[in-house]
Amino acid sequence: MTRDPIPVRASSTLECRNCGAGAPVDEHFCPQCSRILALGRHGDYFSFLGLPRKLVIDPADLERRFRDLSRKFHPDYFYNAAPTERLASLERSSYLNDAYRALKNPVSRVEHLLAIEGLPPAKAEDPSTGSGQGGGKVPPSLLEEVFALNEELDEIRERREAGADPETLRARLAKARAPIDARRDEHEQQLQGLSARWDSQEGAPPAEKRATLDALRERLLERNYINNLLATIEREVAGLAGSGQPAAGSHG
Amino acid sequence: MGKVVGIDLGTTNSLVAYVDGDRPVVIRDESGDALVPSVVSVGEDATIFVGREAQRRLLAAPSRSVYSVKRFMGRGIDDVRGDAALLPFRISGEPGGVVRIGVADREFTPPEVSAFVLRELKHRAEEHFRKQGEFDFEVDRAVITVPAYFNDAQRTATRDAGRLAGLEVLRIINEPTAASLAYGLDKRNRGTIAVYDLGGGTFDISILKVEDGVFQVLSTNGDTHLGGDDIDRLLVEMVMSELSAPVGRALSGSPGGPEGSAPQVIETIRRAVIQGKWDLSEVEETEILIEPSPAVPAGYRRRITRADFERIIHPLVDRTLDPCRQALADAGLQPKDIDEAVLVGGSTRIPLVRRMVEELFGRTPHSELNPDEVVALGAAVQADILVSGRREMLLLDVTPLSLGIETMGGVVSKIILRNSTIPASGREMFTTGVDNQTGVDIHVLQGERELAVDCRSLAHLHLRGIPPMVAGLPRIEVRFQIDANGILSVAARELRTGIEQTIEVKPSYGLTDQEVERMLIESFEHAEADFEARLLIDARNEGESVVQATEKVLRRLDLDGAGAGVFEPGERERINAALIGLKAVMAGTSRETIHDWTHALNHVTQRLAEVTMNRTVREALAGRNVKDV
Repeated sequence: MTRDPIPVRASSTLECRNCGAGAPVDEHFCPQCSRILALGRHGDYFSFLGLPRKLVIDPADLERRFRDLSRKFHPDYFYNAAPTERLASLERSSYLNDAYRALKNPVSRVEHLLAIEGLPPAKAEDPSTGSGQGGGKVPPSLLEEVFALNEELDEIRERREAGADPETLRARLAKARAPIDARRDEHEQQLQGLSARWDSQEGAPPAEKRATLDALRERLLERNYINNLLATIEREVAGLAGSGQPAAGSHG
Repeated sequence: MGKVVGIDLGTTNSLVAYVDGDRPVVIRDESGDALVPSVVSVGEDATIFVGREAQRRLLAAPSRSVYSVKRFMGRGIDDVRGDAALLPFRISGEPGGVVRIGVADREFTPPEVSAFVLRELKHRAEEHFRKQGEFDFEVDRAVITVPAYFNDAQRTATRDAGRLAGLEVLRIINEPTAASLAYGLDKRNRGTIAVYDLGGGTFDISILKVEDGVFQVLSTNGDTHLGGDDIDRLLVEMVMSELSAPVGRALSGSPGGPEGSAPQVIETIRRAVIQGKWDLSEVEETEILIEPSPAVPAGYRRRITRADFERIIHPLVDRTLDPCRQALADAGLQPKDIDEAVLVGGSTRIPLVRRMVEELFGRTPHSELNPDEVVALGAAVQADILVSGRREMLLLDVTPLSLGIETMGGVVSKIILRNSTIPASGREMFTTGVDNQTGVDIHVLQGERELAVDCRSLAHLHLRGIPPMVAGLPRIEVRFQIDANGILSVAARELRTGIEQTIEVKPSYGLTDQEVERMLIESFEHAEADFEARLLIDARNEGESVVQATEKVLRRLDLDGAGAGVFEPGERERINAALIGLKAVMAGTSRETIHDWTHALNHVTQRLAEVTMNRTVREALAGRNVKDV
């Protein structure tokens, strides 16, 4: 059994498998026979939900769209339908759930925007060069903090092995954490500022828009790195809590 | 087309419900009992008994009876050894294969045992529809509930059980979500709800958001091995440790040892402690009482206060709190964000459980609906939505555990994250690690841990026929699709050549389609007990409810020391005589005689019910219901 190759994004219409009519890719139901359309070719998460490609989203509006579309697509309502429609309902619901999940969170929203605007993913570029902290290359703007933190962590580990008082070490870890926390807050602010800038650039020249996207991507890379640093500190704190205990959150 | 029902297939008890007009109702037997004990027993002539009758046989023939089989669904022998230690039946199985349960001289898989219970429920519903004068009373389709925290293998095993029982399983839905659907019927309101479901064998917590009739699960967590059974086990262990030395020695051997002895002892103790547990939900102090019998020659008697009981079970109840906190965190909520907390499952009758839930969420939890019945009611509502196309309500559930595949170095690469709304899909690209590699093994896993060895192995998928290429060149796309039942299918395809493989994940601990087919044929050969035998069972059930209700009242009066003042001269003796008489004829096979004696016992206890001012006593007698006793 062979399958059709993935259709290329040449045409902007979709063919209804029921009546053969053409439909725009962002339609969910055939304009002619009103049956649910197979997912086939589809728009991005924004257009699927009928939203403009913007980063500031009203959460209540997003939720309402999600609920409304769920009520249209959900497999519960296609139980007695033809197999092709059941499959279409399953695929559209799955895609809707993915879209909602991705757009609900401001960070994954930016990631999706970068992906559909053709930028490489904002993950560690080459995991094989990752240090013990798993964050890839150190972003230049963070070099100073990372250097200071690593020194402090080394020292704390040494002291812990030498049997130092856990409370003192905990306090030191909290202190070491403060500048990183501050950087993260700063990043949240920058991310919000850049998001607003992107939204205002609708008719702007491509080069300006690209500059905003690059800056957003830069922020995300740094953000990932900062989160890894924070996770490293968390692990150290957990290590102080008592070596015999199982790690927290290892349920299931 | 036949009828459609909703089924709560529980660890301890199961129920069936349907939508009558526009409201769901549970189906009861003649004595008003909605619960069918999830117990199966094999008679000497290979007759299969299910429910109350099987529960009765549990004491007389423990090695021919099976209960709590839900704990074994979709699990392997290595998972369940701990459970088996205190159970009276034999379990076996190959490592990595499905568990087998030995009953008398037969062996069953857990889905087969569950299918017997489902068939009983199907029968109960068909009888109900037939009596209502329905022309087409056959029940052929059902929605069946499972704990929210059930993994893929456990869900698939449940669906197989439905098929074996001759039911088309319309949908597998999660118990807490079903409960919220039943609660949501009367309240068209909106808000954030926490459903705390502590049943016989499993614990679930689900956080939902309700708006415009859409019930959206935000997160779920739980423990598929935590429930009333564990409480019973702690109490059984306590009694065993206090019993005289010879009994203790007999028990320290393997439970499957000398035929009859150890299982009978355990079952005798279990009954007594369960009674004590139930009592302590209503009164501050009770007695665990075991009459001398061949199983426990010396008998046993011990007063226990609610405080003692709470001290014993506190660690177990405490284990439910971490999942609650994790579910809140996953939903991005604080306890104060919860508008309503709902209690589901028989074990939430325990005052300590209620107190701890109240403390955690800072509000009095709801329990207006019977915690035993609410899940079946919700399942019936969902069944009705599916077949009627009604659109007022919609359930959006989540997958409880992350799904992924094993990659280099035994690390799990997650493809669908836990708490993703279902249906859900995900895809990821992989490649080969060795030059000219023509096949890849894809190991599908479920769980939150980083390493494959710490996660649940669901299946191995083999993609073959990749043309020889340099390592890293093939582009292998792995696609996961979770359907609305929460059941996964996986497809893998090499994009350069289009070679594809699709499988519905057949769990490592599940049955193959061929096995299910074979079992279906076998189940037709073992025909159900005939109509007459069933009427006898119904009569016994009715007698049993009256016996239990009466004994409860008598014991309560004795405990309060109020007995002497309440009885008229000779009344106590008349009641005792009727009790003994009824018990004796219940062992026989004449249903007319059982009916007569049931009637007689009802008659002699009537005055006691009327005159006693003690409210508990009145309620207990009026209820006449085994589950309330």
